[in-house]
Amino acid sequence: MGEVIVVTSGKGGVGKTTTTANIGTGLALKGKSVVLVDADIGLRNLDVVMGLENRIVYDLVDVVEGVCRQRQALIKDKRFPNLYLLPAAQTKDKNAVNPEQMQKLTGDLAEEFDYVILDCPAGIEQGFKNAIAGANKAIVVTTPEVSAVRDADRIIGLLEASGLRNPMLIINRIKMDMVKRGDMMNIDDMIDILAIDLLGVVPDDDLIVVSTNRGEPVIAIEQSLAGQAYRNIVRRVLGEDIPFMNLESEDGFFKRVAKLFGLNKKKQ
Amino acid sequence: MAENAVIFKGTKDGLYIILKEEMDLSTIKYNLEKKIKPSKRFFEGANIMNFKGKKLTQDEFDELKEIMEQEYGMTVIGSYNDKDYPVHEEHRGAKKPEILEQLPFDNVHKGEALIVRATLRSGQLIQYKGDVVVIGDVNPGAHIKSAGSVIVMGTVRGIIQAGANGDYGAFIVAYKMQPSQLRIGDIITRSPDGMGSKSDNPEIALVKQGMIVVEPYLKNR
Repeated sequence: MGEVIVVTSGKGGVGKTTTTANIGTGLALKGKSVVLVDADIGLRNLDVVMGLENRIVYDLVDVVEGVCRQRQALIKDKRFPNLYLLPAAQTKDKNAVNPEQMQKLTGDLAEEFDYVILDCPAGIEQGFKNAIAGANKAIVVTTPEVSAVRDADRIIGLLEASGLRNPMLIINRIKMDMVKRGDMMNIDDMIDILAIDLLGVVPDDDLIVVSTNRGEPVIAIEQSLAGQAYRNIVRRVLGEDIPFMNLESEDGFFKRVAKLFGLNKKKQ
Repeated sequence: MAENAVIFKGTKDGLYIILKEEMDLSTIKYNLEKKIKPSKRFFEGANIMNFKGKKLTQDEFDELKEIMEQEYGMTVIGSYNDKDYPVHEEHRGAKKPEILEQLPFDNVHKGEALIVRATLRSGQLIQYKGDVVVIGDVNPGAHIKSAGSVIVMGTVRGIIQAGANGDYGAFIVAYKMQPSQLRIGDIITRSPDGMGSKSDNPEIALVKQGMIVVEPYLKNR
């Protein structure tokens, strides 16, 4: 039985889809069999971010409704070994499936794959309930903004209420120079409020925009800072003990890495 | 509302003046003056088909007609008697000229078509049992499923499914063909990866030897 991980946040636009795509790709690069499930029915994006949009024939709703077999709806990503995508339907809405159906679907997928990673829609309504129904692990993504942290807190509460204990936190899009100046929430403050385990911190990176638009996950880009952060996160998901460099030496790590790539020249 | 005592209404037959039922003649005259005076030059020479709304007596009608013609330089075309029988009502009863079918060659397809005058956006699905004509674009994530052919007077970026009941003779035509996917019958094709060169010419997609082929349909351009 594989693991079923839901990536969620409450707030929109914090990077759930990007995180899903990169963790999934990273796990596949590590030799695991992975299926990414887009649970955002009606507002699907994961297929676009993965660059697989034009290969969709059947989708999640077709599988649930029995229009096609599960295998037919899975899109194989030819660039990475053992990476599949189950796209969401775009012409339906969240009410097209119910939590019981999602539970069955993710259960079936978990028998075939090491990791089933669900990209949860924003919000706490039907879509959220569908996405978490079959999950046995949760990753909460937030950004260093009070609104995102507030929503993450609400989500953590809802996850725990539905039996998903110990969700893990990813802090996305942090700008260490702003944190240093006191213009951005720092990591410790966020962990103080949310009080869950930190899975990783992903720095703000222009390459994310580039890779998203190209449909190539940034984790595969060697020189990307965000890519490095995702590679570390993947290893932590796999149970490796990768030290939190950013926590031990605060911004020192990022500065060092930035200097390494000559990125510190562009001042914010 | 005194402002609405008099309303100018353009119809396909011409201009009508609609008089509010409960207004007396002096109010109407006052309101006409108020409406027309500021833009007298605009109204000058205009043809008024008739008055509508309030029932007028012959005298009232004549008085209003005189005011319109003498003071404001407009022409009232209708007469008192046909006031309640607007001109277009007469036309409505008239027999429309019937268009006889004349098909000079064989390569003609006859059938029902759905005409969509809108841009289809992500998540919008159109399913139809005949042909579909879109006057607008089909954006990524939009989906047209048609039993017949599909014609898009715009750019196709989404998914077009023609001959959805298994008709391999169906085709897809677009001003700009940049689809994420085309399907004819049960044959599926997608744009090549890596966003290659895009044709700026109108193109047609049809089935040739079991494959969907996209080519310009105006060969000598």
